[in-house]
Amino acid sequence: MGEFKVHRVRFFNYVPSAIRCVAYNNQSNRLAVSRTDGTVEIYNLSANYFQEKFFPGHESRATEALCWAEGQRLFSAGLNGEIIEYDLQALNIKYAMDAFGGPIWSMAASPSGSQLLVGCEDGSVKLFQITPDKIQFERNFDRQKSRILSLSWRPSGTHIAAGSIDYISVFDVKSGSTVHKMIVDRQYMGVSKRKCIVWGVAFLSDGTVISVDSAGKVQFWDSATGTLVKSHLIANADVQSIAVANQEDSFVVGTAEGTVFHFQLVPVTSNSGEKQWVRTKPFQHHTHDVRTVAHSPTSLISGGTDTHLVIRPLMEKVEVKNYDAALRKITFPHRRLISCSRKRQLLLFQFAHHLELWRLGSTVATGKNGDTLPLSKNADHLLYLKTKGPENIICSCISPCGSWIAYSTASRFFLYRLNYEHDNLSLKRVSKMPAFLRSALQILFSEDSTKLFVASNQGALHIFQLSGGSFKHLHAFQPQSGTVEAMCLLAVSADGNWLAASGTSAGVHVYNVKQLKLHCTVPAYNFPVTAMAVAPNTNNLVIAYSDQQVFEYSIPDKHYTDWSRTVQKHGFHHLWLQRDTPITHISFHPKRPMHILLHDAYMFCIIDKSLPLPNDKTLFYNPFPPTNESDVVQRRTAHAFKISKIYKPLLFMDLLDERTLVAVERPLDDIIAQLPPPIKKKKFGT
Amino acid sequence: MVQLRPRASRAPVSAEAMVDEGQPASEEEAEHGLLVGQPSSGAAAEPLEEDEEGDEESDEAPEELTFASAQAEAREEERRVRETVRRDKTLLKEKRKRREELFIEQKKRKLLPDTILEKLTTASQTNIKKSPGKVKEVNLQKKNEDCEKGNDSKKVKVQKVQSVSQNKSYLAVRLKDQDLRDARQQAAQAFIHNSLYGPGTNRTTVNKFLSLANKRLPVKRAAVQFLNNAWGIQKKQNAKRFKRRWMVRKMKTKK
Repeated sequence: MGEFKVHRVRFFNYVPSAIRCVAYNNQSNRLAVSRTDGTVEIYNLSANYFQEKFFPGHESRATEALCWAEGQRLFSAGLNGEIIEYDLQALNIKYAMDAFGGPIWSMAASPSGSQLLVGCEDGSVKLFQITPDKIQFERNFDRQKSRILSLSWRPSGTHIAAGSIDYISVFDVKSGSTVHKMIVDRQYMGVSKRKCIVWGVAFLSDGTVISVDSAGKVQFWDSATGTLVKSHLIANADVQSIAVANQEDSFVVGTAEGTVFHFQLVPVTSNSGEKQWVRTKPFQHHTHDVRTVAHSPTSLISGGTDTHLVIRPLMEKVEVKNYDAALRKITFPHRRLISCSRKRQLLLFQFAHHLELWRLGSTVATGKNGDTLPLSKNADHLLYLKTKGPENIICSCISPCGSWIAYSTASRFFLYRLNYEHDNLSLKRVSKMPAFLRSALQILFSEDSTKLFVASNQGALHIFQLSGGSFKHLHAFQPQSGTVEAMCLLAVSADGNWLAASGTSAGVHVYNVKQLKLHCTVPAYNFPVTAMAVAPNTNNLVIAYSDQQVFEYSIPDKHYTDWSRTVQKHGFHHLWLQRDTPITHISFHPKRPMHILLHDAYMFCIIDKSLPLPNDKTLFYNPFPPTNESDVVQRRTAHAFKISKIYKPLLFMDLLDERTLVAVERPLDDIIAQLPPPIKKKKFGT
Repeated sequence: MVQLRPRASRAPVSAEAMVDEGQPASEEEAEHGLLVGQPSSGAAAEPLEEDEEGDEESDEAPEELTFASAQAEAREEERRVRETVRRDKTLLKEKRKRREELFIEQKKRKLLPDTILEKLTTASQTNIKKSPGKVKEVNLQKKNEDCEKGNDSKKVKVQKVQSVSQNKSYLAVRLKDQDLRDARQQAAQAFIHNSLYGPGTNRTTVNKFLSLANKRLPVKRAAVQFLNNAWGIQKKQNAKRFKRRWMVRKMKTKK
C-alpha cells in the first residue's frame, strides 16, 4: 500500500439546513423531506435509505407543508402563498399556483387523494380539486379569526379539524361550515399570558381529535360533542408535530426539547375490550426542536432543527430482527459537494448560494507513520463566488487543470475561466450560453480539460468543446428510454474516450465520445447508483450501488470483469453490507491498477484486487498495521479490503498524486455549534 | 376698617402648622368672619374663593381679603391666561406652517425634475428615437418614485414611458401589490420566530446546552467553547504590529 501524506481539511464550513416537513408515501415507500432553504429531497426507504432525487431550494420558497396526493404527486405550500407541484420524472417544478389567502401554513390531502385542503394566514380554509394536470380552486370554508396552523381530514372524508391559535375548529366538508369550536387551555391547569398555538391536529375515524400545542399538552377531544376527553402534559416546551399510523393504533409526537414520544392504544386490562391511549416510549435522538414527524407502518421518522433525519424502526412491527431494525440517522449529504483539481491542488466547495475555492497548504517536513507534519504554507482561500439570483446551486465542478469552473442553478448555467498569473487569480465569465442549456443535474470535465459534459434535466447529455477562452457545442445525446430513477451521475475515462451516465431505470449507459454514439449499457440493478468511476488504464467502470454492492464492468469488452464475478459469487463481508452511509466517491491510483480507493462518511477503503476476499469469519477492520506481529497472523488477516477509520466524518477523499491524499472532514460538533438556540434543560446539580 | 390679623399666606403650609394654628385662629376668624365677608360688586369671584378656602380648612372661617388685592390678583390671573393662549396659538401656527412647507417639498420631490418632464412631452409628441440608456434611467427613477407613493396617476405615467422607449427588455409592475405580499410574508415569519424564539420561550445558547454534560461529569470540565475570541482585539493587533517592527529592527541590527 505504501505511505501517503494526507491533507486533513477542516475548513469546509458546511452546515445543512434544518428539516421542516416530512411526508411518507406508503405505496412506494418513499419519504419526501423539505428543508428551510426550500430544498425538497426524496429518500427511497427500501433502497437502504438513499437520497435518490432532490429539488433545489429557492430563497423565497420557505415550505411549511408537504403532502403526497393520489398517483405519486407531491405538493408543497409555503409562506409565499403558493402551492407548488413537483415533477418527479423531469426533476423540476411543474407549476406554482397562488392560493390568494396570504402565507399558507398547512396543507392536507384528502384520504381519497383527489382533493387538497389548504390553511392560510387570513384564517380561510380553501379546498382545491386535483385534476390530472393541475389543481383547481373549488371553494372556501367558513373563515376563522386567526391563522390556520394545522389541518387534518377525517379518514371518511366528512369532517376536518383545523388548529389555530387558542382554539380548534371542526368543519363539515359538505357544507363548509363550522360544526364545533373547541377552546384550548393556555396552560395545563393554570393561566398564562402567552397564547396557545395548536401546532398539530389529527382526526381519527372514531371522531376523536388529537391536538398538540405550544403548552406541551397532548389533548383528546370528542368531535361529536366538541368537548375535551383527556389531556396529557408531556413536555415543558412546545409539542410541535404529530403523525398517526394508518391503522390508528399508534401515533407519534415530537417536542421542542428533541424528544419524540410514541403513544399506543392498549387494552385497559389484558382481557378487556376497552382500550386507552398510553404514552409508551420516549426517544431522545435530537438536540433541537423536532418540527416534523411521520409514521410509516414499521418505523417512526422524525426531523427537526438539528438537521438530522432519524428513522427508528419499531421493534414490534419489524418482521426479521436483523440489522434492518437498527436506528438510522442521516446527517451528511448523499452526494459529492466538493470537487478537486489535482494538478494545482485546489478544492472547490459548493454551498447553497456560493462557491469557495481553496488552495491546499504545503509542508516540507517528513516524518514517520502517524506523525502530524507542520505546515510551511497555510491553505489559501482563493475565491468566493456568489451566485446571482435567489436559487440554490444544484451542482458544480472544477476542471482538473484548474482553469474552468462550471456550476448550475435551476434556471441558469454558469461557466467561468480562471487565469493564474504568478500569485494572482483572475476570473472571467463566459457570457454566451446556448438557450437549450438551462439547468444541469451533473457537470463533469474531461481529464485533459478540453471537454465539458453536462447532464441537463430534460434528460439529454451535452458535450461541449473548450478551447482557450471559448466553448462550442459538439453533440447532444438524447434521453434514452426508461424512467428517471435517481439523479444523474457521470463518469469519464482518463483517455477521454468513454462517458458513463447513470440515473435511469434502464441501467448505466456508456457512450463512445470519439464516435459520438452509445457504446453499451450496464444491466439494470434494482438499487440506485451512488458513485461511479472509470479506471485509468484498463477502462473498467467501477459502480457502487446504494445496497453497498460494488461492481466492476469492463467497457471495451462489454461484460463484467472476472474479479467482479468472483466478488459477487463470494459475497461481501456482513460488516461491509451493514454500513449506514453510501459510497460517494471512487478514485484510482495512477501506478497501481489493482487498487480502488473509495470512501463513505465514516471510513475510507482501498480494495486490493490481488489479495484474497474476506469471508464472514475473518477480522474485517484491520488494526493499525503492526510491524512486530508474526507473519502467520498477518497472512491470516490480510484480505482485499483495507479500511481506515482515522478520518471521519468524511465528506470527500481523493488521491492527489502518488503519495498524497486529501481528506475533507466535517466534525459534527462544528455543525452543532452553528445551529439556532435549543430549549433550556434544567439538570439537577448545575 | 377692622384691624385685620396677618393672614396665612396662600402658599401651602406644612401640616403641623395648620394643626397648631388651626384651633386658635379659627375662633378669632369666626368672630370677624361676618364682618369681612361682604362681597363687592366688582370681583364676583372672591366669595367663591373664600368659600373654597373655608372648605379646605374645615373648621376655620373664610379668610379675609381686601378688594384691591383680590382684584389685582384676578387681573394678573387673566393676563397670564391670555398670554398662554396667545403663545399656544402662535406655536400651533408655526407648526402648521412648517408642515405645509414639508408637504410642498415632498410634493415637489414626487414630481420629476422639470427637464425630464419636458423631454418626455417632446418625445411623445415628436417620437424621436432616444438612447435606450437614458430612457432606462428615466424608467428606473419612475419605478423608484412608484415604490414610494404608488398611486394611479403614477401608473399611467409609467405606461406612457413604456410606449416611448425602444428597449423592451423590462416589465413595469405595480410595486404596491408586491409590497403587500412581502409584508405579509414578513409578518408570518416574524410570528413564527416570535413563537419559537421570542420572549417567553425557554431558550439557551448551544454552548451552554452542550456544556451541561461537562458540568455533571465526575471530574468537572470546562465549557465546550469558553474562549472569547472577541476580547482585546485592539491589544492583540497592537502586539502583532509591535512584534513585526521589532523583528525588522532585530534583523537590521544583526546585519
